[in-house]
Amino acid sequence: MNEAQTYQDSAKREEQLRKEFTSHVQVGNRDHAIQMARLLLKEYASPKTYRFIGKAIRVDKATGSGLRPFRMALLSSFSIEFIHDALFAHGVANGLMIEFYQSAFGAFRQEILDSSSGLYSKAVDLTVLAVEGEDWLPNAYGRYSLVNTNQAILKDNFKRELSALLDKFRTNSRSPLLIHGFAQPMHSLLGIAESFNNKGQRQFIQDLNDLLREVCSQYTDAFVLDYQALLSHIGGNHWYDLRMKHFAKLPLSQDAIGELARETMKYSRALLGCSKKCLVVDLDNTLWGGVIGEDGLDGIKLGSTYPGSAFIDFQHSIMGLLSRGVILAVASKNNLSDVEEVFAKHPSMVLQQTDFSAFEVHWNSKVESLNRIANQLNIGLDHLVFVDDNPAECEQVRIHLPRVTVIQLPTQPEHYSKALLENGWFDTLSISTEDIKRSVLYEQRAQAEALRETATDLEGFYRDLDMTLSFSPVNGKNLPRAAQLTQKTNQFNATTRRYSEGDIAGRMADPAWTLAVVSVADRFGDNGIVGFMMGYMEDKVFTIDTFLLSCRVIGRTVETAMLAYLCEVAASTQAAILVGEIVPTEKNLPVRDVFERHGFVLKETHESGHSIWQLNCETKIEYPAWIQHLTS
Amino acid sequence: MDNNIEKRVKLVMTDILNIPEELINQDTVSSNTDGWDSGNHIQLIVALEEEFAISFDVTEFESMLSYVDILKLVKAKV
Repeated sequence: MNEAQTYQDSAKREEQLRKEFTSHVQVGNRDHAIQMARLLLKEYASPKTYRFIGKAIRVDKATGSGLRPFRMALLSSFSIEFIHDALFAHGVANGLMIEFYQSAFGAFRQEILDSSSGLYSKAVDLTVLAVEGEDWLPNAYGRYSLVNTNQAILKDNFKRELSALLDKFRTNSRSPLLIHGFAQPMHSLLGIAESFNNKGQRQFIQDLNDLLREVCSQYTDAFVLDYQALLSHIGGNHWYDLRMKHFAKLPLSQDAIGELARETMKYSRALLGCSKKCLVVDLDNTLWGGVIGEDGLDGIKLGSTYPGSAFIDFQHSIMGLLSRGVILAVASKNNLSDVEEVFAKHPSMVLQQTDFSAFEVHWNSKVESLNRIANQLNIGLDHLVFVDDNPAECEQVRIHLPRVTVIQLPTQPEHYSKALLENGWFDTLSISTEDIKRSVLYEQRAQAEALRETATDLEGFYRDLDMTLSFSPVNGKNLPRAAQLTQKTNQFNATTRRYSEGDIAGRMADPAWTLAVVSVADRFGDNGIVGFMMGYMEDKVFTIDTFLLSCRVIGRTVETAMLAYLCEVAASTQAAILVGEIVPTEKNLPVRDVFERHGFVLKETHESGHSIWQLNCETKIEYPAWIQHLTS
Repeated sequence: MDNNIEKRVKLVMTDILNIPEELINQDTVSSNTDGWDSGNHIQLIVALEEEFAISFDVTEFESMLSYVDILKLVKAKV
């Protein structure tokens, strides 16, 4: 194929993707539109594509594209408004309609320090403070001097200014804050003598980054974006555009803008509880090279030489995800016995069969496999990421299961890991010990499921589980987990209100509120903190604002124990009535009848389906006899 | 080919400045065109660089203030 032909084919495909995107937007086919936006951004990332996506959505704003509104405030030392189009387009690819609050460049200090500034006039979902190190601390950059720069004083002043800004920001805003870290200067003043001198400029910049991280860790929901690491993906020569820096106060190249938009979206996704939970992989030409059914155990490519070495690297990347709590599953068209032989006998396999919580190996469609995996693991389709080398399989999944995130692997296996990791689909704001334990827990859950199948009656099943529940008030230690649960729990969640650590900390300080987390241990192991509830007292009425339980312990009467606990709390605060709310969502069917099942009476139902339930506090809800409970 | 360049420059200007293609002519200059502000000027430069896979320098940025000037510059580079 000659170059002109390739160019024409590419232009044709771009036109086709654009057409499909527009038509999905016009008919309000949100999930398919999101899929098309992702393909456009992957294959045709450029300002032109960003503008196209933005225009298509804005034209059809009236039809209600189904995108979720998201307010983002941008504060900067440079003309960051040139990133709007890229951010907006990446927002669409993540189901968001981003609305910007943009401060004038260089006015970030005034905006933060002035309580009456526009920054604080509306609730914001994410505030980004994008300041180039050179603008904030010129004495550490272009004006760095071995004679005149006093590192200790500079650090001290920076720490003081940063703390003052963060104090003021937190007093006036609950918005999560994302601060760009400092980039290394392109050329160190000391040149190659940098490492021989304890006044090295690069070490100093690194110290400032450590300081930034340390100060931010003392505030709730203040995150540092590792700007230097992001920049190094494409390198300083490609990151900065010095022409635009001097002409338009825009130091970033278009490539840098794309990278930055994508990185910022990782935070937005995590804040909204949209992080993916489960990776579903194909096997042939995905975990190993070749086709096991044809090439046999000795024929597949997996080992110390290329291409086998690239598949080993890819398996290590997957192992890394597993170790931080991502659930793994297999969807492959193969004979089960062939596949089991590879896992049991191939000497170079990194992943074990037991690393996978679901194993769909047969000749039925991948669509069916993905549906079964979601059911079996009790998670939504939009928490699945499907990875396959076969374009036709990927296309099928995009069409029939548009909520599943699809990663079509590139043709060369050495690029697989990048394709898997670059969008940070599984990224969460923090990684808790529960996350690390999770993969084990899902396996336990599968065992518990098997037990349920053998137990002759339900009560016997509950007894066999040998459950112990612990209720604890929310404190500094379990606060991140409580916030994470509100952000991630979809099914057994009565109100699905998402709260940041800051939101919850605010309620902890309010004496009207009661907050508690629930841990569950059973004979298969310790599940860690799996439940969270909070409510407030007002005029002898105790209202349950949040009542949620992780899906891995649904169907074990844990909720009954939680309500029994809340009854005790209500009684001890002299409440006469306990009020529960159900806010219906697409996902929370399992929780809808929780209050009804426990004797609450329906008080009112709003048009939206939002219902209010009441229980007279004289009616006591008993703890299930098969659950031991501890209160601390 | 020259016609093609003219057409492509006009399409880029239409996309960025939101003015109909047929209104872009020898008389189109930034000072008499609504929407051709400093912000859109940057976007226009970036879009032209992308469209023609060329690169301008800062002195050229400052001279690209009319359709005629832009066309002359682009033709010299492609």
